[in-house]
Formats: sequence, structure tokens, C-alpha cells
Amino acid sequence: MNIRSYVIIRLKELEWSTLILVLLLSTSGLLAIYSIEVQHESTSEYFFRQSIWTVVGIGLFLAAYFIPRKVIHNLTYPAYGAGILLLLIPIMTKSGNEVSRWITFGSIGIQPSEFMKIFLLLALAKYFADHKRKLSNIKELMTPVAMALGPTILVLAQPDLGTALVYFGILIVIIFWAGIKPLHFFLLLAPIVSMLAAFQTLSFFIWMGLIIVVLYFNHLPFWTKILNFSINVGLGGITNLLWALLKPYQQQRILSMIDSDSDPLGAGYQVSQSLTAFGSGGPFGKGLGEGTQTHLKFLPEQHTDFIMTVIGEEFGFVGVMVVITLFYLLIARLITQAYNSKFRFDSVILIGIASIYIFHVFVNLGMIVGIMPVTGIPLPFISYGGSFMVTSMILAGLSANMSSLRRAVG
Amino acid sequence: MLQGRNIVEGWRSLLVHGLLALLFLILIGRYYYLMIVFHEKYAEKATANHIRAVPVLASRGVIYDRAGNLIVDNAPSYTISVIPIEVKDKPESLERLSSVMEISVEEINRRIVKNRRGSFAPAKVFSRVPFEKISHLQEHRLELIGVTYSIEPIRNYVSDLDLSHALGYTREINRDDLNRFKKDSDYQPGDQVGWKGLEKFYESELHGQRGFRYIEVNALGQEIGEVQDRAPINPIPGHDLILSIDSYIQFAVEKALADSSGSVVILNHKTGEILAYASRPGYDLEMLSGRISSKDWNALMQDPRKPLYDRGIQGLYPAGSTIKPLAALYSLGNHSNAKERTYLCRGSYRLGNRSFGCWKKVGHGKMNLHDAIQQSCNVYFFNLIQDIGLEDWALIAREFGFGARADIDIPGENKGLVPDTKYMNRKYGQNKWTRGNLLNIVVGQGDVLVTPLQLAQFAGMLAQRGTQFQPHFVNKVVSKNGDVIVENISQSNNKVTASKDSWDFVHLAMWDVVNGKKGTARAARQKDWDIYGKTGTAQNPHGEDHAWFIGFSLDERYPYSWAVLLENGGGGGGKAAPLIGKVLRSIAKRPS
Repeated sequence: MNIRSYVIIRLKELEWSTLILVLLLSTSGLLAIYSIEVQHESTSEYFFRQSIWTVVGIGLFLAAYFIPRKVIHNLTYPAYGAGILLLLIPIMTKSGNEVSRWITFGSIGIQPSEFMKIFLLLALAKYFADHKRKLSNIKELMTPVAMALGPTILVLAQPDLGTALVYFGILIVIIFWAGIKPLHFFLLLAPIVSMLAAFQTLSFFIWMGLIIVVLYFNHLPFWTKILNFSINVGLGGITNLLWALLKPYQQQRILSMIDSDSDPLGAGYQVSQSLTAFGSGGPFGKGLGEGTQTHLKFLPEQHTDFIMTVIGEEFGFVGVMVVITLFYLLIARLITQAYNSKFRFDSVILIGIASIYIFHVFVNLGMIVGIMPVTGIPLPFISYGGSFMVTSMILAGLSANMSSLRRAVG
Repeated sequence: MLQGRNIVEGWRSLLVHGLLALLFLILIGRYYYLMIVFHEKYAEKATANHIRAVPVLASRGVIYDRAGNLIVDNAPSYTISVIPIEVKDKPESLERLSSVMEISVEEINRRIVKNRRGSFAPAKVFSRVPFEKISHLQEHRLELIGVTYSIEPIRNYVSDLDLSHALGYTREINRDDLNRFKKDSDYQPGDQVGWKGLEKFYESELHGQRGFRYIEVNALGQEIGEVQDRAPINPIPGHDLILSIDSYIQFAVEKALADSSGSVVILNHKTGEILAYASRPGYDLEMLSGRISSKDWNALMQDPRKPLYDRGIQGLYPAGSTIKPLAALYSLGNHSNAKERTYLCRGSYRLGNRSFGCWKKVGHGKMNLHDAIQQSCNVYFFNLIQDIGLEDWALIAREFGFGARADIDIPGENKGLVPDTKYMNRKYGQNKWTRGNLLNIVVGQGDVLVTPLQLAQFAGMLAQRGTQFQPHFVNKVVSKNGDVIVENISQSNNKVTASKDSWDFVHLAMWDVVNGKKGTARAARQKDWDIYGKTGTAQNPHGEDHAWFIGFSLDERYPYSWAVLLENGGGGGGKAAPLIGKVLRSIAKRPS
């Protein structure tokens, strides 16, 4: 088969709806960035750059779509290895206490941690597909957990708590999707809940009671039950110790989620200004370029993490609903496709992509209205930023690749 | 590659779908709550967030004399302010400012703290800055980050009259006043507020109400520009004062007073209007308005001539013989033989083993009441008081307004003192005081203390046969568009009742004081103009006696009454009567 006929077949197979949803989302992002530029009368640097990244991203979307699945499958582990190396570069070259998330090539900086999301996802998919793992034994989890733990530790060292949580989120969803037993899934997640519950005495005791009930009604060796319970109690106990290990700004961000007014010029300040921007937008917004909160620098990081506040303030509740609906359609389709997929590799990749989008959308849209901590998680396709735009596009292209029903090539 | 059906159980897919729906519903709920339910609350907050109200000072009301001549108005003045947040990390700026203004950095910092209105708002540090300094600062603009200057109106004293004590001055509001005014007005740190005199008494009328411009600012507090859709609130200028002061008479008084220490109060006894008011020495209003250096302030405070002391309403002096008509009126009303009774004056009066002298050492000889007033014979009144109880004397003294504030419209008035039995018992002990004290009282020495204003009012009531008009400085308070806000028209109060005959008698005696051959105030006599008066000597244990002269004119054209006090001006008519003589001659010569 020559390339020309391959391209034609693939174009016929392309589900245009994914591309259209992605284009609509990127356009709303560009609109918001344009609005900021208009108000600031600055050089249209952000808008220009983001436009370039969008075009590049669409190219990479198509590339990810056209690359034969077999190639992807074969390149998965080398790509994972390369990703780990890229993550090491900023840490090696780190100077002083600066946050090192970037590798710079001249005027362009890339964030390897964004691309690592793709590589981790692919590696996990390949592992679950190749080894026909049914996850009937909890020991089978060792390898995937190790795969996720490597990059998680590296980004935590940067330090980038948000991205670390994304990696971990991918792992959890994929493990669930790959067929882990509910009891195992519960026991796996229990220590995390224990740590969170430990912040409050009452919730901690209720949670421990629940663990006892679950362990009691399941057939497990007695000593396994005791060990499990001890781990949970122990982790809850050292939570305060771990809390002390968090950087103060990380603590502050988590705390400011609980009371956004407690720290008006820090993380809470951003959220409180963001609430004002959204609230003042009302049902229909103030109109393009008419927002006052976002444009008068009341809101830091307005073009990156807080980009939705521009849309909220200028296009109102209606504008926000349009964006949320687009995301819902995109993600819900991914889940359905993952379920319908006949290939384990494809299915895991699709659910992994869905999990990345869910995580980003919910955490981002949640943090800017004060229901999630401010963790520096950008909004896919909309937030300004090349690496993440490109990553989101590649993921979308991959999803289109995996969901197409052709069997001839592969 | 694994292949086949049922890769994933249906429930897992449903659970993930359910989770997605749940998370998105949470988001939608949150956004609905924020943007629909609480829209109005946040819309208000957003407006407050980015609009800063910049105050526009109201111009203070100006002050005119009775004829509408300007006495005080406003002139532009340069003020230097510092924006606290901008100089916080730039000590160089303050050092530069300190060297230009020749004031220590610590002092500048102290003023910043004192006048601070927030990190982004300019805090005033210098007022009345000379233009040279401003141009100097302008040259060094780049080294003076966070230092701004502005023009604001300050008091400008247009007339050459020295009305310092009456006008008073404005100064920067202090923290106490700021808290006191906070409830009902819009004072801010750095504002000028009336501190003394009319400026203080009429502060609420003169002040006006500040306006606001609305400026859009960003989160850093930097100004973006004027807000388009919100009209500025224009300041309401303060009301103007039209005084009762007659600049012509005031000028004549100041000229006659020259450098003497003392006080002159001339009022219209038919209206209570104060026509001239002088307290000497006065002070430089320009220097006291706004910021005064501690050096200048200390010099004023320590000046032995006490320039800050408003003698007209605060100065307490023994009334001396000017108060003798009191006893005379009492006698005329209560002793059937008042006009006829005579006492022999040999120059002194003996009480027990003490001798009380008359000012005329050789004695006045045989005196009746008329002559005793005309020649101010003490011995006559020493005898007369033996027939008058202290309580009766004190009562009539109070009816004439002694021992109480006249409630004139400048703050700080002293009450003076009218001794009565209760007072004497308290001061000297029950029954420890003697009739000797009484002798002093009837001739206005010792415990009797009066202010020049009270004596002018007394003269006016004698002229008006017991009717009093509330003395006042301000005739009208007028808004900028000419509406009369307040008009001071004094009501007449019939305070002292005496027969026409008694009043005629006292008037004649006082006429003779000025016009009679043996009168003590012949220097006040005018051609074709009947002047009535009474001289007095306020004994001064610290130096030469103070000279009093009170009097009035019943002429329809000149319904004037006055009191003159010359510190260390000597006994009797001394220099006081001639001073009024000069003033009255000027008035008579006034071009129409």
C-alpha cells in the first residue's frame, strides 16, 4: 500500500467530530487570549504564539492520527525511557531554588513533564495489553505502579505537585479500567484516603471503621487484614509529618482552597479575584474585551491557569456552559470509544486520555472557582502554553487513531 | 496484541461515565451558584475592585468684611506627597527628598505614618512648598520614585488688617479631630481644618464637601484612566462668611493701637455686630496656617508678649473704675436720696486700721454721685458700697453679662469672675473676708475679673438702657450661589431694668466724664458728637497698671460702644481715652 492511498483511507476513517470539538475549544482559548491582548494594547505576543502552537498542534494531531498503531506500539518503551531522560535534564541543570520545569531551546521553552503524560500512558497501555494482565493478583500491580512512580518522583522534585497528581490519576484510572478487583482497588486507594482523613479526627475514625467493615466481609488471610489495617492507621498517623514536608506554598494552596479569603494576596487572592470575575460576569457576561477584573491585572496568570475567568467574565454563564459542554462531549465520547474498543491497547489508551482530560478539566475549572486547590493545572486546548497545547493535541490525535474502526492496517 | 470482546465490564464503563457526569454536575452547580445566584454581589465587588475614588478638595469658603471686601480667600499652594508602597523599597528617593527639603528622613517617615491613607494613596509630607523646591524636584524626577506633588488651595490673607485672633487659622487635622468628625463627614488625614477663631467656629460652614473623580486602577494600584460611565461628583465649595467687621474702623483702630499691647472691641450696640476687634500683639496668619516649624512655634509660645493670647475674649483683667456705674445704678434704683447723698473725699478711706486710697491723693472734696462718676472718686464708692450688699451688687453685675460668656462666635471665651458671698467664702473661708474686700470689688479691683469683650458689651447695655444684643462677628453665611444660609440677627434681651431717670443720670455723668471740665476722659471728646465714657485702671501687681476706657455714642449714625484696654497703659484715662479719640475722629472723617 502506498502512502497516498493510506492517507486517503485514513482520512475517510477519521471521526471529524473529535477534530471539530478540539478546534472549537482551541478557538475559544484564542478568543480569550485575544481579548486580553486587546485590552492591554500590548504586542500581540501571546495571541500570536498561541496561534502558532495551535497550528503546530493540529499538525501533530494529524501526525498522531496517521502514525500506524504498530509503530506507536513498538516505540512505546523507548519513548518512555526518553521521557524520563528529558525529565532529568531540568533537574540536572537546576540552579539554586528555581522551579525547573523547562528545557529551553533558544526562545522556546518546553515542559518535558507534559509530554511525559503521553509516554506514561502509552507505556502503561502496552504493559496491560502485552502481558494479558487480568490483575487477579495484587502483585501484578508492581510494575505499573513503578512505571508511574518514576516520573511522579521526578516532577515532585521540580517541584510540580499538580503534574505528579496527573500521573498518579492516569495510573489509578487505567488500573481500574484494566480489571482490578474492587476489593484490591479499595485496598490500593485506602491509604490515600486514610492520609486525607487524618486531617480531621472524626473523619479518620469513620474511615477506619469503614476499612474494618470491608476487611471483615472479605475473604483474605487474617495477617493480610491486620497488615492492611496497620498500614492505613500508620499512614494516617504520619500524615502530619508528611504535611510538614510539603513546601509552604504547596500547603498554602491546599489551605487556601478551604478559605479563599485567608490569604488575600497569595493563592487565595487569585481565587477570590477569580470568583469576583466569574460572579460579575453574570448570565451573559460583559462582552468580548469588556471584562474589568481579568484585564486590570487583578488576576495573575490570567492567560494560563485562569484563562476561563476571561471567558466567564466576558461571555457569562452561557459561555462557560458552552465550553463545559464541549469538554463533556469530547470526554464522554472517549469513554464510550474505550468501552467499544476491541483492542486492549487502544482501550487503555483511550481511557487514559479521557482520564487526563477529566483531571485537567475538573481540577482547573474547580480551582478557579475555589472548589479545588490551586495546583497549576492548565485547561486543555484553552490555556496559553505551547507544551500543553501540543500534548493535548497529540492526545486527541492518538484518541482519533485508536478509536477508528479499521482493521486492515495494524 | 490482545483482541476480543468484553475487554471491560459494562459496570466499569458505567462507573466512569457516572463519575464524569458527577464531576461536571458539580462544576455546573458551582458556576450556576456563582454567576447566576450571586451575580449581583460579585458585580458590586467587581466595581469596587477596579474603581478608585480620588477626592477633589472643596474650596474653603472665603471671608468678607461687612461691605463685601475680601479679607481671606484661597490661593494655590504646592504640596508634596509620597506613595508609601513605592518608596518602601526605594530609600534613595526619601534621602533625595530629605536633602532637597532639608528635613531628616526620620521626620519624613514620621509624616508618612501620620498622613497615611493606605499603601497606594499619596501621603502628604510637605505643604506650602516654594516653587523653587518644586522645580528642583522636577529636575530630579527620576531619582524620586514615589514622590508626587500636587496643587491645593490654601488660605490667602488678602487684606492688610490684622484680624489674626478673630479669624484664627486652619491647620492639618489631627487624629482626635479625625475620629471626632468621622461620623458625619468626609475628613481625611492631611485635610485642613479650622483650628482657632472664626475658622474653627464656622468650620462646618466653611469646609464644603469634597467631590470625587473616579479612576480605573489595576491590582497594583496604578491608574489606568478616568472611568467613563461614572460621572464625577463635583465638590461643593464651602460657604462664605460676611463679617460684621468694618474694615475702615478696624483700620483706624489698628493705626491708633500701633505697637501697644492690649485690646479694642467696638460693637454696634443696636445690633450686637462687632465692628472692630483687635488684640495685640497678633501673629502672622500665613506662618500659622498649614505646617509651622517647631522653631517658629516655640518662639511664638515663649514670646513674653504672648501673641497667641486673644486678649479680647480671653484676657482677664480687673475692671477698675469702669464698673462703677453698676453701683451707681443700684443706688439710683434703691436709695431714695441717691442723687443727693454726698461723701467727703480726703484722698483715702479708713476701715478699721486699714486705709483705702483714692486715685487723687489730695482728695476730691465733697462728692455727689454724678461728680463721683465723672471724676472717678473711689472714696465715694467706698462709702456707697456700705449701703449695698455683695449679693445685690453681684446680681446686677451678672445682669450686665459679667461672670458669663457672651457666647460670641469664636471659641475660647473666658467667663471672667463676679465675686459673690459663696465665692468669697470659698476663697477666703467662711467669714474670713471683710468689708475691705468689698471696697475693692466696688471699684473693680481684686476679685472682679472681666474681658474687654464683656466691658464693650457692658458699655453697649448702658447705651441701650439695659437692653443687650448678642455680640457676633458674622452677619451672614452665604453659599456660593448667593443663598443666605445663616443670618445672625441678634434678638434684644431686656436684662437690666432701671428707671428712665436713672439711665439719664448715668448717661449724663458719663457724658461729663468725656465732656465735663473735670472729666477723666476729655481726650475722647469729639466736635459736634456726644461721646459718653468711663475710664478705669486695672491694677497690675507685675508692672505698670493697665488703662481702660469704655464708652458709647448715642448718635443715630454711630450707634457704637467700645472697650479699650491698654496693657501697662497707665492709670485712668491715660492712653486709652486718647486712642478712642483718634479712632472716633477717623470715623467722623470717613468719606461717605
